[in-house]
Amino acid sequence: MPAKHDINKVGEESSDFPILTLADGLTGLGSNPYLRMSKQEFGSECKICNRPFTVFRWNPGEGSRWKKTEVCTTCSKIKGVCQTCLLDLEFGLPVQVRDAALGRKNGAPSSDINKQFYIQNLEKQMENSPDGMTFDSEQANRAGRELLKGMARTDPHYKRNRPHICSFFVKGDCKRGAECPFRHEIPEENGLQKQNIQDRYYGKNDPVAKKILGKVAAEKGMVAPADKSVTTLVLLGLPECTDADVRTAMIFSCPFVSPNEIKSISMIAASHCAFVNLINRPLAERAAEALSAQSGIEVQGKKVRVVWGKSRPGKGKGKAAATEGEGAGGAEAVEA
Amino acid sequence: MPKIRTSRTKPPPEGYEDIADVLEDYEKKMRDAENESHEGKRKAESVWPIMRISHARSRYIYDLYYKRELISRELYDWLIKQKYADADLIAKWKKQGYEKLCCVRCIQTRDMNFQGSTCICRVPKAVLKKGTVVECPHCGCRGCSSGD
Repeated sequence: MPAKHDINKVGEESSDFPILTLADGLTGLGSNPYLRMSKQEFGSECKICNRPFTVFRWNPGEGSRWKKTEVCTTCSKIKGVCQTCLLDLEFGLPVQVRDAALGRKNGAPSSDINKQFYIQNLEKQMENSPDGMTFDSEQANRAGRELLKGMARTDPHYKRNRPHICSFFVKGDCKRGAECPFRHEIPEENGLQKQNIQDRYYGKNDPVAKKILGKVAAEKGMVAPADKSVTTLVLLGLPECTDADVRTAMIFSCPFVSPNEIKSISMIAASHCAFVNLINRPLAERAAEALSAQSGIEVQGKKVRVVWGKSRPGKGKGKAAATEGEGAGGAEAVEA
Repeated sequence: MPKIRTSRTKPPPEGYEDIADVLEDYEKKMRDAENESHEGKRKAESVWPIMRISHARSRYIYDLYYKRELISRELYDWLIKQKYADADLIAKWKKQGYEKLCCVRCIQTRDMNFQGSTCICRVPKAVLKKGTVVECPHCGCRGCSSGD
């Protein structure tokens, strides 16, 4: 069925209860186990699908701000995320982290008419399914689940229910003093300020996810080399395979890498390794983070270790290592 | 807001001259409050001074008639009719538990988030959670419970 032309026919979401993570209702101050929530039908537009939805509002308790649902239940079910904090319901991790660790593909379109069509179809699926749920991607496999459990924090993150920082205080002219319901603090400069709800939902450019994945990568010894010209990932301990197999495995476990973004793959059969040259540095970093979160890459049923390529000594820094994949591969293979 | 008096309007009842100065003072204050700049104030905050003066003037007339008994019934009715005082608010002040009510809107249960509740300023100080700073959005009241 085609998407509806008339905006009035697109429909709306209505629900009886919000889909939330536990921490959104807690303050950590020995708080009341009972919550009073208000429900407003057609309260506002969903931040993802722009349809009107049922908004729930509540105050978790002393020392916290009023919280409300930001996306509709349909959008939340599609991604399996909380309606308020947009973190994964099972692990409480950002979508980008979860998808990277499980090698999930982002199937949801983000352009206007495609989005409408997609949501319309999925809503129909939900109606027909027995549990009223649909996950656009398959259930997490066991290995991925273990990994995510390791990454997830064990205690609820109460701090995110605190009031926002007073913007007037930051500018130095808040006149409300003690009455001000906002937090009078100087914001920390940790690069986590610029967050965007759309990006967080679709799992791209999420600074929190970047931080978590970066930490995991560092733990696994996948620190990105300082030389920015390095865009090569080295696969160590490969089974008998061709470069087509490596390419397929790469695209399968990093769905955000499209086939034409892999510049070249050079196989060194004698030392069971391969050099994957990617088109640019940010992509290489993202692939490295995703692969380290998955603790390696699976080629022909065997887990293969992935490390960063090394910058080539003696050569000019302007020259990318990737440009001479073959030659560089030979030299590095000996080092590795 | 009292009506404008012209040469054709009936003269006010007896005893008005005695309180005319005070009422004029209130009117002056009200004019100042109305003309005050709203810059740098929040949306809700801009009407607070006006609400405050209106409340004070109603209180003054209420005290004159019901507490101090200094003015006649006739003058009191005239003042109410001329809207020097808010009749609805005074009607509430006469009831037990509403002796200090700040404005009628604060007890309007339909306007609240939760069914049947009233404004935060109606909550007695003893019952409020520690550290709660009350400043109601309707009139800037900081607490008008009878028990406080």
